[in-house]
Amino acid sequence: MLRDGGDEGMFTIPGFSQIQFEGFCRFIDQGLMEELHQFPKIEDTDQEIEFQLFGESYQLVEPLIKERDAVYESITYSSELYVPAGLIWRTGRNMQEQTVLLGNIPLMNSLGTSIVNGIYRIVINQILQSPGIYYSTGLDHNGISVYTGTIISDWGGRSELEIDRKERIWARVSRKQKISILVLSSAMGSSLREILDNVCYPEIFLSFPNEKEKKKIGSKENAILEFYQKFACVGGDPVFSESLCKELQKKFFQQRCELGRIGRRNMNQRLNLDIPPNNTFLLPRDVLAAADHLIGMKFGMGTLDDMNHLKNKRIRSVADLLQDQFGLALVRLENVVRGTICGAIRHKLIPTPRNLVTSTPLTTTYESFFGLHPLSQVLDRTNPLTQIVHGRKSSYLGPGGLTGRTASFRIRDIHPSHYGRICPIDTSEGINVGLIGSLAIHARVGDWGSIETPFYEISERSKEEQMVYLSPSRDEYYMVAAGNSLALTRGIQEEEVGPARYRQEFLTIAWEQIHLRNIYPFQYFSIGASLIPFIEHNDANRALMSSNMQRQAVPLSQSEKCIVGTGLERQAALDSGGSAIAEREGKIIYTDAEKIVLSGNGDTISIPLVMYQRSNKNTWMHQKPQVHRGKYLKKGQILADGAATVGGELALGKNVSVAYMPWEGYNSEDAVLISERLVYDDIYTSFHIRKYEIQTHVTSQGPERITNEIPHLEPYLLRNLDRNGIVMLGSWVETGDVLVGKLTPQTAKESSYAPEDRLLRAILGIQVSTAKETCLKLPIGGRGRVIDVRWGQKKGGSIYNPEMIRVYISQKRKIKVGDKVAGRHGNKGIISKILPRQDMPYLQDGTPVDMVFNPLGVPSRMNVGQMFECSLGLAGDLLGRHYRITPFDERYEQEASRKLVFSELYEASKQTANPWVFEPEYPGKSRIFDGRTGDPFEQPVIIGKSYMLKLIHQVDDKIHGRSSGHYALVTQQPLRGRAKQGGQRVGEMEVWALEGFGVAHILQEMLTYKSDHIRARQEVLGTTIVGGTIPNPEGAPESFRLLVRELRSLSLELNHFLVSEKNFQINRKEV
Amino acid sequence: MVREEVPVSTRTLQWKCVESRADSKRLYYGRFVLSPLMKGQADTIGIAMRRALLGELEGTCITRAKSDKVPHEYSTVVGIEESVHEILMNLKKMVFRSDLYGTLDASICVRGPRHVTAQDIISPPSVEIVDTTQHIAVLTEPVDLCIELKIERGRGYCTRTQNNYQDGSYPIDAVSMPVRNANHSIHSYGNGNEKQEILFLEIWTNGSLTPKEALYEASRNLIDLFIPFLHAEEQDINRNMEDNLKRASVPFFAFDDGLDNIKREIILKRIFIDQLELPPRTYNCLKRSNIHTLLDLLSKSQEDLMRIEHFRVEDVKQIFDILQKGFTIDLLKNSNQFESR
Repeated sequence: MLRDGGDEGMFTIPGFSQIQFEGFCRFIDQGLMEELHQFPKIEDTDQEIEFQLFGESYQLVEPLIKERDAVYESITYSSELYVPAGLIWRTGRNMQEQTVLLGNIPLMNSLGTSIVNGIYRIVINQILQSPGIYYSTGLDHNGISVYTGTIISDWGGRSELEIDRKERIWARVSRKQKISILVLSSAMGSSLREILDNVCYPEIFLSFPNEKEKKKIGSKENAILEFYQKFACVGGDPVFSESLCKELQKKFFQQRCELGRIGRRNMNQRLNLDIPPNNTFLLPRDVLAAADHLIGMKFGMGTLDDMNHLKNKRIRSVADLLQDQFGLALVRLENVVRGTICGAIRHKLIPTPRNLVTSTPLTTTYESFFGLHPLSQVLDRTNPLTQIVHGRKSSYLGPGGLTGRTASFRIRDIHPSHYGRICPIDTSEGINVGLIGSLAIHARVGDWGSIETPFYEISERSKEEQMVYLSPSRDEYYMVAAGNSLALTRGIQEEEVGPARYRQEFLTIAWEQIHLRNIYPFQYFSIGASLIPFIEHNDANRALMSSNMQRQAVPLSQSEKCIVGTGLERQAALDSGGSAIAEREGKIIYTDAEKIVLSGNGDTISIPLVMYQRSNKNTWMHQKPQVHRGKYLKKGQILADGAATVGGELALGKNVSVAYMPWEGYNSEDAVLISERLVYDDIYTSFHIRKYEIQTHVTSQGPERITNEIPHLEPYLLRNLDRNGIVMLGSWVETGDVLVGKLTPQTAKESSYAPEDRLLRAILGIQVSTAKETCLKLPIGGRGRVIDVRWGQKKGGSIYNPEMIRVYISQKRKIKVGDKVAGRHGNKGIISKILPRQDMPYLQDGTPVDMVFNPLGVPSRMNVGQMFECSLGLAGDLLGRHYRITPFDERYEQEASRKLVFSELYEASKQTANPWVFEPEYPGKSRIFDGRTGDPFEQPVIIGKSYMLKLIHQVDDKIHGRSSGHYALVTQQPLRGRAKQGGQRVGEMEVWALEGFGVAHILQEMLTYKSDHIRARQEVLGTTIVGGTIPNPEGAPESFRLLVRELRSLSLELNHFLVSEKNFQINRKEV
Repeated sequence: MVREEVPVSTRTLQWKCVESRADSKRLYYGRFVLSPLMKGQADTIGIAMRRALLGELEGTCITRAKSDKVPHEYSTVVGIEESVHEILMNLKKMVFRSDLYGTLDASICVRGPRHVTAQDIISPPSVEIVDTTQHIAVLTEPVDLCIELKIERGRGYCTRTQNNYQDGSYPIDAVSMPVRNANHSIHSYGNGNEKQEILFLEIWTNGSLTPKEALYEASRNLIDLFIPFLHAEEQDINRNMEDNLKRASVPFFAFDDGLDNIKREIILKRIFIDQLELPPRTYNCLKRSNIHTLLDLLSKSQEDLMRIEHFRVEDVKQIFDILQKGFTIDLLKNSNQFESR
């Protein structure tokens, strides 16, 4: 049990990016040293020179550039690692010592991200099966229960021991083959004598080998031979050799038998062994002890393991991943050094440590790790919440883990041991459901990679409650008060009992028996889930959607705090790093939109603000100063609010007035009707900044040129280009406009033009162009203001330096039909219609509502929290109050949420003298009127204020149509996807629909001209240009032949026959 | 709902302002009463008035801003706390009181360090700034802030397209809605069959007009919409039904002689040549020579039209035909008469 030393910090929520940062610090503090210690002394072949690293005095150099500059210049923010190295001449007995540069290690910033090639990247925590042995039972194909013990190695390899009904013990070596446990142990080097001495049930071991098998286990060689035969599935009689032994070693023992330190500890614990912890490999003793246990299991002794229990899992954090990579890099370095020493000796050169060590192995290892490893991901920066949540993800996927397609249902499920460690709600939807989770707020990664969660220890001895962090293997043995009802009446004996958890079950236990209690109602949840007010009234599925959708909210141009929140908004915004915080106290001496200058303690610091920057999801990032000149600040005070934060609180959406009622069918099936006010008042207006880039290359004809003289294009399209051929800053560009004019040189080949083209050229005297235009044009859907142009030269090896030009275009998007909006309770919908404000239903004081939702969207989804939020929001809006409600307020009394909401509504109604706000006959509802007719609606309607978000799924990014375009090379069918100007697939069902309604011409068009009938397609193009009737297609394309075969399967023969005039011979033609 | 007894005479229809207050310079409130009304009438008037108040009133606001030194609206100026975009957003919120038609120019020219408010807008005398304390920007350094503004009167809300303006000016999506909120409630009284109703109208405005003015404007706009019906019979005598169908969308020419010239001019000004369904070529020619409304067109004689580049005799004839059919205006006769009238 780990006790938390500082009592001061026990009431604060840990920093949300702390998990990542602690991991990185662990790597720097311990991991580096451990790996450097393992670097061997390298000798040359003649053993004259010895090379070694003195790992204990390594140095990490502070990076020369700032984080911000690294992003701007697209380089890696890293620190150089220097280690003293020595070269010892055995002959002379003297040593040369130099400090060598091992390479660059990308650093992590306080938000838990690293900057690699100018891109923010984050390494996700991986959850792996802890190495060790696990016993389980199952049925074999005959329906007889079989006991198996699965040994899991440090790398995730599995080998199984199983006992069958004849009490024979087998070790499974491949999917099909198994060998006797005796063969395995003798192959591992034990003799029969040793085996029998070390087991508890020797008679069972002795009972089954027959004569033939006895021979196999007679010697180690024979056993290995047998093992190899089964393992590699080869027939015949292989001959024992060293290479065979090595192969087995490599393929079996190294992959499946390395336990590592954690594995050794688990093995010792599970099998009651006392093998020293530095023996990280599977020993024959382990195998025999495991077999003993297996026999015990068969006889009904011992307990089975639960593989999905969190105590059998371990976290592989950034620290472990970086350490593994560092080890890998050192192995590579070792090979390089070895090679160089030998080379130097051979050429009679005198090496120095600096000559021997190169920085490439380490640098490239880390570059490729951050670039290619599946757990290293680009930081999702849609909004501040997304950023912090991303770093707290835990994934079962990745190397050594599971895959989305094959993972079982049980592993995706919630387990009682997840309590306070992994959020039961927050996971991704779709194929990875349950595999990518999110760490709970208070969880931390403890020793041995376990996830720990804090509890209060209730002890008789001391009055004070102490906070303890417990690993999943510990808290099961304590009775933990669940905290879902508070004990309010003391003294009555019968009522001094409460619900508690004990060994994965819920019991009602007397108070004095309880050991621990939870520290916080949020303890179960991740950040995303704990930002949902009234979460206890929502169905978990909808809460899941909400926690995912909050991460998709677009920062709006003018944010607004939520009226009803949970109180975690502040820390979420603070830890995301979105807003600028005063790092020290002082006086503001200057502010403008770009920077804030702070003076304190005798010196001034200038804090640059983020100005209209692009996130990798094309949303905007921006900081607005919140302090004024001459004000004095304290350390930690907010200087500037970032996007989607207001006053240091997370503000993802807007409070809008809503009504739950049907409206002319415009909100059926989750559609949403909105008022025009949301458009013209810029309530849901967001900025989207896109990046367009182009590079110049060198072709065989010469380098490409950037110019504003493009003869191929109309001058209208080039109007925004400056002298150099790059778009001017501040110009407004539309689809098709040229952003960068570029010409690619081309050999002027007369023959490459069509004959009529050549004729025209000859007549008009147009020079044959020597270049092809390869301009960067604004693609379809793009329009906006050019806000930044960056022109950079990449350092190329040759004389010619390729140029890279990036153009940033900002777009202001108002909400429109087709955009997706969502609340915080998984209530999402698409805007279906925008009504003028006088047409919207209006309340009794004349205010038109802003959004109209369908009431049928609530009962089946069971997200009643939105009703509470809506009513309380109305009360808060009228009273000018903001509410912060922790979840599970029902523990104070029954129906606590409802009581709160209604009492607040009642007060609002009284204070503002609006009797319609709270009417006792239908509390929360009100009679409202149709804006078009002025008639009251038939029923009272729930009205209120909800916090609604605009999500990143917007029509502008999705709307797409195609009249003509490209075709796939192989199938000759239209391409797929919006990005490629693809077509909409007319699938089976669509074809049936056309068939069913007998729309023959459309069907023909879909199956011929628009699809893979190449001839007809080209003829259509020709005739539309000339202007004539489109000929009927001849012959059948593949898609039509498919149709014919479908008809045949309905017993309808479709064929055509040619009957000869002469001899009436029927000639059947296959369609 | 407001349920108050207000003493009203039972005979003639009367209105009265019951309550009027200014909560701030940009929030006016007024409550009016109309009585006595027959059963059902209050609803008819109430909803029509509410819709007219919310949707039909005109307002004045800034539609365009231009500043020379600024590269684009997402940039910043040294010494100003707000970014350019924020300043534009602040300008969007400006409230003016005026009765102008067309566009007017205004400007801001200040030097820091100071707090720039609506007071600093230099505008022509016909435009009055409602709330002089409205915030525009904060200059923290001695820098110049010069913005040229265009003020327009309009109705409702329109998004400006940006592409035509490359001159460094930035369009502002103007929202000209002087009425913030309007509500009506009905109170019935009397006994037996002789039930009578009182209509209460509540109006909140943004200060560019008082609730009383808003009520007046709204009723005038509403009446304007009903005028064609008053003359419905007159039309039917003159023309057959088929023509009428076409004319229904342009009902303004019913009162050829009855109304004064000014009214007629305003109406002609409101009909754009786009509505004439001219062939594209003709349309483009007219547009190019700055003929936008019917008034522009009518003020030109045939000779004037022929002088337009690429304009042919057939086109002129076509225009005459359309005008004759659709509006019963004979351009040949009309053109000169119109000026003389």
